[in-house]
Amino acid sequence: MSTETTPNTFVLARDSLLAREPAAGLRRFRRRGYQRYRLLRSNIDFSLLWKRRWFIISMMVGFSLMAAPTPDGLTHPAQIVLCMSLMATILFISEAVPLPTVPLLIIVGEVILLKVDPTKVAQSLMTDSVLFIMGSLMLAVAVVKQRLDKRIAWWIVRTTGTNVYWISFGITTVCGVLAAFIGEHTVAAMMLPVGVTLITLTSNDPKKVHNLAAVILFSISYGCSIAGVATPSGGARNAIMISYWKDFFFDPTDPATRRYLMDYVSWAIYTFPMFIVRLPIVAALLVFTFRPETTDMSRAISRLRTQVSLQGPMRGSEWMTILIFACTISAWVAFSSTLGLGVIAIAGTAAFLVFGLVRWEDINAGVNWGVVLLYAAAISLGVQMKDTGAAQWVASGVIHGMNAIGAGSDLAFNTAISLLTIGVSNTMTAGAAVAVLAPIVLKTAVAAGEDPLRVGFVTAISSAFGYLTPAAQPAFTIIYASGYLKSSDFFKIGIRMMVLSFIVLLLTSTFYWPLLSP
Amino acid sequence: MFDFFKRTQLSDRQEAAVRKTLSNLRSQRRNRFRILACIDGSDESFISVRYAAQMAVTDDCDVIILFVRPIDQGLHSGGLQVRLARQNMMDAGFELPGVKHLKRALEVLKEEGLDAADWPREVENQDAWGDPAGDNKIEYKSPTGRSVVLKLKTAPDVAVGILDQYELGPYNLMIFGQPSRWRSEFKSFFESGVVQSVATIAPCSVLVARPSGDKHGYFICTDGTSRSMQAIRRAAVLAHMTGEPITLFSVAPDEASKPAAEEAVANAKALLKAMKITVADTRVAVGNAVDEIVEMGSLFRFIVVSDEGRSRLQRLFKGSIASEVMKRARSSVLDVR
Repeated sequence: MSTETTPNTFVLARDSLLAREPAAGLRRFRRRGYQRYRLLRSNIDFSLLWKRRWFIISMMVGFSLMAAPTPDGLTHPAQIVLCMSLMATILFISEAVPLPTVPLLIIVGEVILLKVDPTKVAQSLMTDSVLFIMGSLMLAVAVVKQRLDKRIAWWIVRTTGTNVYWISFGITTVCGVLAAFIGEHTVAAMMLPVGVTLITLTSNDPKKVHNLAAVILFSISYGCSIAGVATPSGGARNAIMISYWKDFFFDPTDPATRRYLMDYVSWAIYTFPMFIVRLPIVAALLVFTFRPETTDMSRAISRLRTQVSLQGPMRGSEWMTILIFACTISAWVAFSSTLGLGVIAIAGTAAFLVFGLVRWEDINAGVNWGVVLLYAAAISLGVQMKDTGAAQWVASGVIHGMNAIGAGSDLAFNTAISLLTIGVSNTMTAGAAVAVLAPIVLKTAVAAGEDPLRVGFVTAISSAFGYLTPAAQPAFTIIYASGYLKSSDFFKIGIRMMVLSFIVLLLTSTFYWPLLSP
Repeated sequence: MFDFFKRTQLSDRQEAAVRKTLSNLRSQRRNRFRILACIDGSDESFISVRYAAQMAVTDDCDVIILFVRPIDQGLHSGGLQVRLARQNMMDAGFELPGVKHLKRALEVLKEEGLDAADWPREVENQDAWGDPAGDNKIEYKSPTGRSVVLKLKTAPDVAVGILDQYELGPYNLMIFGQPSRWRSEFKSFFESGVVQSVATIAPCSVLVARPSGDKHGYFICTDGTSRSMQAIRRAAVLAHMTGEPITLFSVAPDEASKPAAEEAVANAKALLKAMKITVADTRVAVGNAVDEIVEMGSLFRFIVVSDEGRSRLQRLFKGSIASEVMKRARSSVLDVR
C-alpha cells in the first residue's frame, strides 16, 4: 500500500478525519443490522407513532364509533361492519400500514368483533372471483415472460407506417385489445420495453424527446386503461363486481335472478363499446396535449426491424403461448357460465406450467400475493355488509340524501354514483374502491328502483377513471417506473381524459344499456 | 437448544476464518482515507463527487460514489410486481435507474484529474431485498492501490441505504449535495429528508457540499473545548494536505467572554503550529454563534464545525450549532466527528 506523505509526514487515514468502527460492541448487529438499529432507535418513540398516525386515528375512530349507541334501524353487528369498512377505507387511502396488513386485520376483525365462525370466514375468502384474479395474474406473468413485445410492436408499425401519430394510434389499439383479455398491468409490463426502445432509438437524450416519450408511453397506458373494463379479465374490479352481483342478488330458486350470474360475453356486450368509443378520443387527446418533437420515426423503426430480424422466426414456445392463451379466452367466452371464470384462468396457468413455458419461481416472484389477499378480504367484508344489513341501512341514507338534492332520475343517479366512484378511486386502487363502494351502491340502486346491473357497471367503469396521478392505475405505475414521465404529465392529460370518459359513460348508460336490459 | 441462538450454521473453524478475513479487510480499510460521495442525479449532488476527487489527494485515498434506488414495490401495480416490469426492462437491455448518474460521476472525477475509467476493474452483484437487480458495484483499482468504486444500491429508503453502506465501509467522510429543504430540529424529529437524516446520525464526519465559486480556504470554528480542538487538528490536516489556507475563528456570546474566545483561537493556532501547519488568519467575533459563523464563513470554501455528539432527543431540547450551521450556511460545511 502506498502512503504518500508530505514533509510533515501526515497520513490522512491516521491524522485527518476518523472512520469510526461501524459495529464495535454490537456484534449481533453487524453490517446491515447496526445502522438499522440506530435508525430504529431514533425512530422508535414519537417518529414511529407519527408515521403510523393514520393507523392510530383509524383505530380510535373505528372503536369509538363501535362503542357509540347503535343508530335506529341498524343492528350492532351491522354497526361493527360499517366501522370496520370505515377503518379499512382510511387505511387504504392513507397507506399508514403496508396494504396487505389491511386484509389481515379485516379477517381478524370478522372473527373477533363479528363473532363469525373462523371456517366461514376462511371460506368467504376464496371465491371464484378471487380464483379468477389470482389465475389472471399468474397468466399475466406467464405471458410477459414470453417476450413477444418486439414482435407485437413490429406488427403494429408494419400496419401503421412510420408516422408517430399513426404509431400512437396503433399502439393504443393493440394494447387495448390485448389488455381487454389479459389485464391492463400485463400489457403495460409487456409493452413498456418496446415503447422505451422506440424512444431511445429516436434520441438518447430524454429531454429532447419528452413529448414523443409522453405520446408513446401514454398510448400504452391509456390503451390498457380504457380496455381494462371491456371484459371481466381486464381487471380485478370487474371480477369483484361480478362476485357482488352473485352474492347479493342471485337466488337459485328464482330463474329471474340468473341475469346476475354475469358471464364473460354478457359483460363484454355491455362494456366493449366504452373501449371502442374512447379509442379515437385517446389518440386525439394525446396528439393535442403533447405535440411530439418529431413525427417521423423511420430511424427507430428500421432499428426495431433489425432487432426483430435478429430474433429469427417465431419459436415453438411462442406459438404455444398464443395457442394456450387463445384457448383460455375461448373457454372464458364459451364456458364461463358453467365452469366459472376462475377455474378457466387456473387451468390456463396450469397449461403454461405443464408445457414448461414458465417456471413456478417466476410466477411466485411476479404475482403480488398481497393484492390477491386484499381483494379476497374486501369481498368477504362486502358480503358481511350485506348479511348484517349494513349496506341496506347506508343505502337508505344515501337515497334520502339523493332525493334531497334532486338526484332522483336515472341520469342524475348514475351521475352521482359515477362521481362518487371517481372521487374514491383517485384516492385508492380501483379494485379496493369497487370493493368498498359496491355493496352500498348496489343496495342503494335497489332502494332507488334502479337496475343493479347498470349501476354496478357504472361503478366498475368509473373506478377506472382515476387518471390524475401515477399511482392511480396499475398501468400508470408501470410506465412511470420508466423514468421518462413527470407526475404533472399524468395530471395534464388525465383531467381531460376523466371529463371525456365521464361524458361517454353517461351517454352509454343513458342510450345504450337500456337497449340491452329494458 | 443452544444452536437456536447461533448466528451462523458454519463450523467454528469456518466461522473463525470468515471473521479473520473480515477483520483483515477492515484493518486494511482503516489504513485508507475513504470518502463516500452520495449522489441522487441532481446537479447539486455532483458537487459532492467533485469535492471527493479534490480531497482524495494521496494514494491512500479511496473514493466511493453511491447511488441508492428505492426497492421496486408493486402494491399499486394491481397485482403484478413492478419488479416484473423492471426485469423485463433489464432483459431488454435497459439500464437500472442510477447507472446513468454513476457514469456521469465517473466523468466528473475525470474532469477533476481522477481518471479511473482505464484502471483494471472488478464487477460485483449481490442479492438485496429480493430485488432482481440487487446491489451492483464496479471497483476500479489503480496500480498504486487507489480505488474508485461506483455503487448502485437498493434499499427500502435512501437514508437507510446510505447508512447500510457505512456498515460496509467504514468511511472517513461522507459528502452530500445541498438538500432542497432542511427542517427544524422539532420537525426533523418526526420526519426529515435524506441528507438531514444521515447527517444527524452518521457515525463519521459529514460534508454538505455547496458550490464554491472562486472561494478558498477552510474556516475552522472553535469553542475551546477538547472536542473542538480534536476537530481542528483533524480538519487542519485535511486542509493542509489539500493545500487550502486555514482561518481559525471563535465567537464570544458577549464582550465579557471575548478574552476566552481569543484564548481559544490562540490555543488552536499554537496546536497547529506545533504540527507545523500554517494558519493564514485568526478571527474573533461577538454575537450569536450560528449567525456569526454563517456570515463570516460565507467568504470561505469550507466551514468546519465540530459536532456536539448529541442524540436526536438531546438536539430537540438543546439544539445543535453544527446542524444549524449546516442548515443555514451558504458555503460547504464540514461537520467533524
